[in-house]
Amino acid sequence: MSGGDATVAIEARALTKRFGMLTVVDAVDFRLSPGSKTALLGANGAGKTTLLGLLATLVTPSAGAAWIGGESLARPSAALRRRIGVLAHLPMLYEELSALENLTFFARLYGVREAPARIEELLRAVGLWRRRDEPTHVFSRGQHQRLALARALLHTPDVLLLDEPETGLDVAGVALLDELVLTAPGLTVLAATHRVDHVDSWAEGALRLDRGRLVEDTTDRGQSPAGATAAAAVPEGPR
Amino acid sequence: MNVPRALTAAVHGVYGLRWLVLPPATAIAMFALLVGAVIAAPREIVEGEVQRLMYIHVPSALMTYLAFGITFVSSLIVLWKRDMRWDAAARASATVGVIFTAITLATGAIWGKPIWGVYWAWDARLTTTLVLFLIFSAYLLARAVAGPNDEQVARYAAVFAVIGALDIPLIHMSVSWWRTLHPQPIVFRPLDGPALPDEMLLVLMIGFGAIFLLVLWMTSLLTDAERLAQRTEALRARLDREDRG
Amino acid sequence: MSATLAVLRKDLRLAWRDRSGWLAAASFAAISVLTYSFAFDLAAQDVRPLLPGVLWTTFLFAGIFAGGQSFQREAEQGTFDAMLMAPVPASAIYFGKALSNMLALIVVEVALLLLATILFDTTLITADLILIVAVGTVGYVSLTTLLSTLGSRARARAVLLPALALPLLVPLLIAAVRATGASLGEPAGTAPWTLLLVVFALWSSVGAALLFPMVVER
Repeated sequence: MSGGDATVAIEARALTKRFGMLTVVDAVDFRLSPGSKTALLGANGAGKTTLLGLLATLVTPSAGAAWIGGESLARPSAALRRRIGVLAHLPMLYEELSALENLTFFARLYGVREAPARIEELLRAVGLWRRRDEPTHVFSRGQHQRLALARALLHTPDVLLLDEPETGLDVAGVALLDELVLTAPGLTVLAATHRVDHVDSWAEGALRLDRGRLVEDTTDRGQSPAGATAAAAVPEGPR
Repeated sequence: MNVPRALTAAVHGVYGLRWLVLPPATAIAMFALLVGAVIAAPREIVEGEVQRLMYIHVPSALMTYLAFGITFVSSLIVLWKRDMRWDAAARASATVGVIFTAITLATGAIWGKPIWGVYWAWDARLTTTLVLFLIFSAYLLARAVAGPNDEQVARYAAVFAVIGALDIPLIHMSVSWWRTLHPQPIVFRPLDGPALPDEMLLVLMIGFGAIFLLVLWMTSLLTDAERLAQRTEALRARLDREDRG
Repeated sequence: MSATLAVLRKDLRLAWRDRSGWLAAASFAAISVLTYSFAFDLAAQDVRPLLPGVLWTTFLFAGIFAGGQSFQREAEQGTFDAMLMAPVPASAIYFGKALSNMLALIVVEVALLLLATILFDTTLITADLILIVAVGTVGYVSLTTLLSTLGSRARARAVLLPALALPLLVPLLIAAVRATGASLGEPAGTAPWTLLLVVFALWSSVGAALLFPMVVER
């Protein structure tokens, strides 16, 4: 499917996910600029996690399409997946492996170049370098999330998808999140959150989902007519 | 583009007639089978009345392959098209297939006791049927652990059904080789002997038709029931979401 | 290929770190053989007609129980999703998982052969027997690894996995028992059991690798 625009970091057109007869993400359209920081708002069950899963290539869309940096997410290439980082509410770490071993494993999967240096840099940044050889099951919830943040940033993605990133983070962790992610220049961030009070300090715009539908779009490209016409051009029906 | 669309329309048209055509046709054929098997067909000289089970046993055995064939094809479509309508068809046909393998095994055992002297013999065909029964019972079990709209478990079950179907030749081969070590039952005689009198052959043919229609009708009934279950669950989930939102 | 190796090394390291799972499988296997010895009074008679069946049923049950654990942990910790989002094909993840399960099980199986050698005074550590065990292990672990992706989703997983796996494994069980019997000098008929074992191993590993991406997709 053509129509990818390389000047747009994340683009969704009529993006839809149905589980059986239940539509979880319902014809969502939006465009996010490179380097933009966007909050993804909505109640529990509004479809935030599924939308992030679709953009992370974990969930296959039922209809519609999405692009990351102009490249279609249908049949994602390895190069495309290297541009995406994910921090979910589960830390996605092996409890019996040490911090270093966890990052080394994911560096291998992502083919990170000069992995030892990159891992040391990140472990120092999240304040876990001294504890790198300890298995992660001795870590606190906050330390887990900081290591998870390091794992998400390991392969220097262009786009970071966060699912409730503040959950379980200590004060130092929230400061780290701000420093490494929310104010990082060039990194496009889409973060699902229910903490509306914190959003104003970092988000430039917001998308709000309600029962799978996009009901509010305050991003800089939110009202662009291109998105509206493009939605009509995408043929309907399951792929 | 027009020919496939016309074909799809034709298939949909025929399928739409299932409520009109299948119930009366199945009823008539089953009635004919009962009359034929119990009254019309002559008493078998050697085996006696128990031989009348053949008119149900042989068609049931054959039609289980039809039912599991539908399960196999539907499962492939579930994996290929991600269409949960075909999951409903796969579950329905697997249920019908399991019911008819059970009927095949039961009628075989009832016939086997007076004729072979045993209810069960580890004959290759019997053993394959038993393993088939176990595989698709396990399929139904695996599919039943999740709700009707759980696409991931539907895909898991579809993969299991595909593997199970592809395993059948290997099972049959291994079981036949396994049995060649042991003597066959001395009284063994193929149930469907070649020299069947005409009246018996006619009733058997009616049996094939009747069981064929019964399998189709049960499968379409159960498919519709599964579809309704999917819709009910989707509506319930939608209500849950409304209540929260 | 490097992804498969990475998953394999990671899983072997995890298996070693968290030995309790595999130790449980090994002690289950040992106890199972002892139970069979009491039940069939294997000490009082020639064990060779019964031994292949005793060994292979034990291998299969140990494999099914142990294999079920690996995906459950991954699903609970979210690491399975993390692997699926990584820029590697799903089949590479499958091969890494299956290989690590095979290696760990072959260790358990050889230990069990040693135990049976001591208990029944029958030489079981021979080249052709170990080959049969290895090929058979490839055959059943390929399928049980695929089937254990049901993971933590099913409440009755512990009961469900054997019910799913064992009927599919009937050809493998028959062929492996007969081939093992033949290598112990038992009459096994003229059928090419080793060939069937190899065919099953090929069929199950290729089929499972092709179907695995479809099972884990959502």
